[in-house]
Amino acid sequence: MTQGLLASSHYLHRVGSQALPTLEDALRAECRVQHRRVDRFIQLAVLGAARCAAGRRLREDCFLYLGSGVGPVGNNIMVQEQIFRDRQLPRPFNFVNTLGASATFYVAKELGLRGQGWWVSRRGASLEALLELAFTDLRLGFCTQALVGVVEECPAPYEDHRRRVHAPADAVLAEGSHWLLLGAAPEAGDRGITAAFGLDKTALVRGLRAAWSEGDSLAFGPAVPDTLAADLAAVAGVPALRTDFALHDSLAAARLTHWLSARPHGRLHLLCGLPEYYVRLEITAPDRVPLELAQ
Amino acid sequence: MPEPRAVYVNGLGLSCALGRGVDACVRAMNDGPIRTIPLSLSGFNEPVRMPYYAMAGGDADQSLFDAGRFARLLPEAAAEALEQAGLASEARRGLPLFVGSTSFEVSSAEAEYLDLLAREPGSAFALPYVGFQQAGECLRESLALAVGRDFAFNTACTASANALLAAQRMISLGVLDRALVVGVEFANRTTLAGFSGLQLLADELRPFDVMRQGIVLGEGLGAALLSARPGGLGLVLAGGASNSDTFSVTSANPDGSSISALLRAVLGQAGLAPDQVRGIKTHGTASPQNDLGEAAGLRQVFGAMPPLTALKPYLGHTLGACGVIEMALFASALGQGHLPPVPGFSREDPALGVRPLTADAPAPPGHYLLNYFGFGGNNTALLLEKTA
Repeated sequence: MTQGLLASSHYLHRVGSQALPTLEDALRAECRVQHRRVDRFIQLAVLGAARCAAGRRLREDCFLYLGSGVGPVGNNIMVQEQIFRDRQLPRPFNFVNTLGASATFYVAKELGLRGQGWWVSRRGASLEALLELAFTDLRLGFCTQALVGVVEECPAPYEDHRRRVHAPADAVLAEGSHWLLLGAAPEAGDRGITAAFGLDKTALVRGLRAAWSEGDSLAFGPAVPDTLAADLAAVAGVPALRTDFALHDSLAAARLTHWLSARPHGRLHLLCGLPEYYVRLEITAPDRVPLELAQ
Repeated sequence: MPEPRAVYVNGLGLSCALGRGVDACVRAMNDGPIRTIPLSLSGFNEPVRMPYYAMAGGDADQSLFDAGRFARLLPEAAAEALEQAGLASEARRGLPLFVGSTSFEVSSAEAEYLDLLAREPGSAFALPYVGFQQAGECLRESLALAVGRDFAFNTACTASANALLAAQRMISLGVLDRALVVGVEFANRTTLAGFSGLQLLADELRPFDVMRQGIVLGEGLGAALLSARPGGLGLVLAGGASNSDTFSVTSANPDGSSISALLRAVLGQAGLAPDQVRGIKTHGTASPQNDLGEAAGLRQVFGAMPPLTALKPYLGHTLGACGVIEMALFASALGQGHLPPVPGFSREDPALGVRPLTADAPAPPGHYLLNYFGFGGNNTALLLEKTA
């Protein structure tokens, strides 16, 4: 299955000892709508989506697929503290924004979308789940464009968040917003994503062997074990290097949009998904993908 | 594009305020009376009281906020659907799973945070674990489904309706041969306190009635086994659509425009004229604004209104689970040959211009619409075909 790749955007910010930067200035500068009563998760979603669209008017039937492994955590924390620690009813917009669907609302509002807007999660592989849904709808002809994004928030205090997501004490955490705009192949030229879903190890190796060409790039999602990564790298004849990324729940998405934002020419094979349910993505970008905005 | 395949509903499972199991729920719906419990949340600066449709029977009657309740009760509706579909254990391995909920396992996270606050208040932190996967993991383990595709939908009150639609499309396209779709909503303090704060709650659920005042919440589990192979229920999930309405984050546009566009899209995909629809399960939340938008949307599409029913007066608003729960209950009523009336409706609201059923109506073979609308501007409608 191949779909055209029209645009992408990449935002990844490592969490250090300093507080994360505020996003208000970027939102004011880059968004059409000044959104009120939104939390950081929604801000990250709106900013990433707006950067992917980059001022282009998307088709009204563009479907929106937004996902996250851990969702709008900061706002959910606030609501739980209001209820259980402070013994107060949550403020209405805090409560409404506990739902992932609130972020799809603000992205749709920002971009003037009226088509389907879905919020879907798969721990460790949300992008892969969203792509499978988007590819289905595009193939069935229910939409001609699909805006696919994952957002991962990292609320302070970071020590608590490490415990919350079972990350090692020394793990470098990050927040991220990673987006792809998919569409019909002619519109995208030669830029595209080919996907094979639900593969076991054997099919993953066989697929890479068939698709690999000299000069291609290889990357892995976090769920591909080291031994399998070594086997796959041997197939490709390249070292089994893993990019040193800070940790959030959608690392495959981060690797994909980071590669696109580096303005590559060529082809990336991204092997990701979950154990016994792997996904092979083949991203072709013979020219520069035109709309990416890296951070 | 390959020729789309028919998608059959081959198994249904249900646990809600009406009872445990589809048959018990349908019997209770036919017999009445409707069961709510008085519920109060303690410890707030102001009284928080409401009627609530709690799951009926057995160990469901223990504390609503018991930490183990989620894992204990979650598998039963799915197990019922698998059994009805006659799915052998080998066919269950790797079964794709589509789960829809607004709250997923937040009740368990609440219990753990409360425990931390009691034991070590200095170091307690809210939301001690996150994610949307516990439901899927629990179902896979308890039903021996092994590893497979999991999709967790969190589109508010359309969550499990969208899960049904996504599974239907993947089977229709030939990507999947079958899928288990589950709607999950358990009582939890976040939802109850949150809706209290929104002031959307009422003492009684009276969809489309002039005296309607709001919703009554409920909990429940629904499950459907969808397949490319015909089963014994005589039901086809024939399609559906979903769209976005950016009028308000908490309700569809009351002018009905996004809802009528949605319903036209569903009918258009299926090649149906409005007069070919045999009946409609409305979303029918009984909130003044939502019923206004739904009624307006219906009037714009249907010249002669098909029979309208609403199921929330029987089992409460089960939020993200209502997609599968209400489809299971509605489909079971269709199987018995009737459309259920809407309890609590007595007087038409002239502002709405629609009148739901006040007595049973026949349910002949044909196409039926099921409406679902949610926070976040999410509208979804499904098309169910009764084939015999």
